[in-house]
Amino acid sequence: MPAIVSVTGEPYVVDLRDVSKIYRSGALRRRRVQALRGVNMQVHRGEIFGLLGPNGAGKTTLVKIMMTVVRPTAAAGTILSRPIGHKPTLRRVGYLPENHRFPKYLTGRQTVEFFSALAKVDRRTRRRRGVELLETVGMRDWLDVKIGQYSKGMLQRMGLAVAMGADPDLLILDEPTDGVDPGGRRDIRDVLLRLRRQGKTVFINSHLLSELETVCDRVAILVQGRVVLQGTLDELTIAKQCYFFELSAVDPWSAVRAALPGVFDSAPGPGAPWRGRLSDQTWCQFDGTFLRIGKTEPADVQDILDALRRAGLVIRRMHPLRPSLEELFFEAIKQPTA
Amino acid sequence: MSQTAALFLDAYRDLNARKMFWIVLIISTLVAASFALVGLTPTGFSILAYDFPSPLFNRRLISPAAFYKLIFLNLGIDWWLTVFATCLALISTASLFPDFLAGGAVDLYLSKPISRLRLFLTKYVCGLLFVALQIACFCLASFLVIGLRGNAWEPGLFLAIPIVVLFYSYLYCLCVLIGVATRSTVAAILLTLLFWVGVFAVHTTEVALLMFKLDEERTLASLDHKVAAAQAALHQASATAPSTRQATLQSRLQEAQEKRADFHFKFDRPHRLFYLVKSVLPKTSETVLLLQRQLIRRADLPQESSPRSDRGNHMAAALQDELRRRGWPWIVGTSVAFECVVLTIAAMIFCWRDY
Repeated sequence: MPAIVSVTGEPYVVDLRDVSKIYRSGALRRRRVQALRGVNMQVHRGEIFGLLGPNGAGKTTLVKIMMTVVRPTAAAGTILSRPIGHKPTLRRVGYLPENHRFPKYLTGRQTVEFFSALAKVDRRTRRRRGVELLETVGMRDWLDVKIGQYSKGMLQRMGLAVAMGADPDLLILDEPTDGVDPGGRRDIRDVLLRLRRQGKTVFINSHLLSELETVCDRVAILVQGRVVLQGTLDELTIAKQCYFFELSAVDPWSAVRAALPGVFDSAPGPGAPWRGRLSDQTWCQFDGTFLRIGKTEPADVQDILDALRRAGLVIRRMHPLRPSLEELFFEAIKQPTA
Repeated sequence: MSQTAALFLDAYRDLNARKMFWIVLIISTLVAASFALVGLTPTGFSILAYDFPSPLFNRRLISPAAFYKLIFLNLGIDWWLTVFATCLALISTASLFPDFLAGGAVDLYLSKPISRLRLFLTKYVCGLLFVALQIACFCLASFLVIGLRGNAWEPGLFLAIPIVVLFYSYLYCLCVLIGVATRSTVAAILLTLLFWVGVFAVHTTEVALLMFKLDEERTLASLDHKVAAAQAALHQASATAPSTRQATLQSRLQEAQEKRADFHFKFDRPHRLFYLVKSVLPKTSETVLLLQRQLIRRADLPQESSPRSDRGNHMAAALQDELRRRGWPWIVGTSVAFECVVLTIAAMIFCWRDY
């Protein structure tokens, strides 16, 4: 199968095609739960990619399929240019599972070295890297302490060190900041950004939208086993970007209707939000104080600004508005077929 | 190779962290060391500074070397290694797979470039290493006790290590299967012990039925002998004896023939059934007997003997002959076949399951 390449000409680091998973259970395995329904997802080299979705969307199943922990019902595509499920390729993939349970009888240093050995790292390298990595994640003072004594946040930090043990090209992290305090989250974020600078690819599965928004180059939103949105934050939000005006007047409803004649003619009376379209079919919305207009360029809103001022409206503030990842997420959940 | 070495090192650390491992090891060594506390005197035996007169165990009847070997055989092998230490080992190792398969733990291993089958087999061997280490310590301690106290250095005692490990592996494979299938340590221990009891019951029943069957064969041979004797007597008397004597002999022959004709094997069919069932099960008791036979031969250990009646002696000898005829290829071969089947099922579940 020829390698599928991205627009930059480089092969995708993760290229998932039609990944499906049906869990069977019950007597004679007749009860079926379809966790994934033909997932297509591509991750470029050197980017931080975020996978979002509500509980039960199939995120962890997808990650486990990538890591050969779960067998797909159907799957095509590649990871690091090798078919999904190719065991030797996992040497180049670091993984931090959700709710991991590291052996409590090992120290932090022994844990990193042990899992590096399983990833076929030679003894000298793993000894050197073990200390380096634990220092990187801020665990220098806990190297030789049994991990049974670690807090949840410390375990996450150590898990990140374990995932980086074999110096992988692709790092897959399932809820990496779960249970980590704000300082720890910042440290983990710094580590991820440093990895990106080194050309590593990071795939994060997380519920923390605000965190993903700050580090991810691209995201995908998974709902009911399907990818409903995928792309860079700019790509995903361009259709939702708008200009935002905060207005005040004695009777703002009448003033807005006068400023934008024909736009809100069919709108109901004051109280409920108004929705309408300008003559060029640009959407706009007014709720009594805030006016949103689906324009992105400042030049495009100058005429509207003049019209509003002419109608006696005071412009308290105005600025371009990009929806947050959280807003995108909730919209995608509400409309899974979007 | 580094992966396998890492897994073995991890298994060692795991065992090292389990208190049970050290407890069993210390108890094993203490049991062997306690043999040394027993000594032979000209009139009996002593424990520490206390003398106990005995007509059976004294230095005039038995040499110290034979005495310590007898203790090793009858207490060390028969009771400690194959009953108590095995139970403790099962309790210690039963959690290896359920713990390994717990959510969040197995993911860390399966996501590494190592095949599931190799992971499974390495973990399995690690469990057996636990027992091997325990037995090795016990054998070494026994070797020293017999050498120092009995003045007989018998390296043949170390033969117990592979054979007891083999014996343990029959049970451990089932423990692993149950552990993999249910992910429950308690279920693995209880069902394995239940299975062990079941195997022992089948073995005991089969041996009892075999004894009855041998007795029937002996009875049949006796009846055949009586018929033949009656026929010979009649043939000899036919020419010279008076007719009354001939009639008596004729009636004896008839009676013997009727008894022979009325004879039916009652225990043959049930024995065959139990033998068939036993053939597919692991031979735990026979493996221990095999070890005893080997130790008796290689380490010059004394044979067990007890006074019996003539009939009892004959039956016991016939039973022993019959059991001895079942050589190690049948005992070990069928048991290992059972183990392979059970391990294959466990490996398939382990390899095909989603975690």
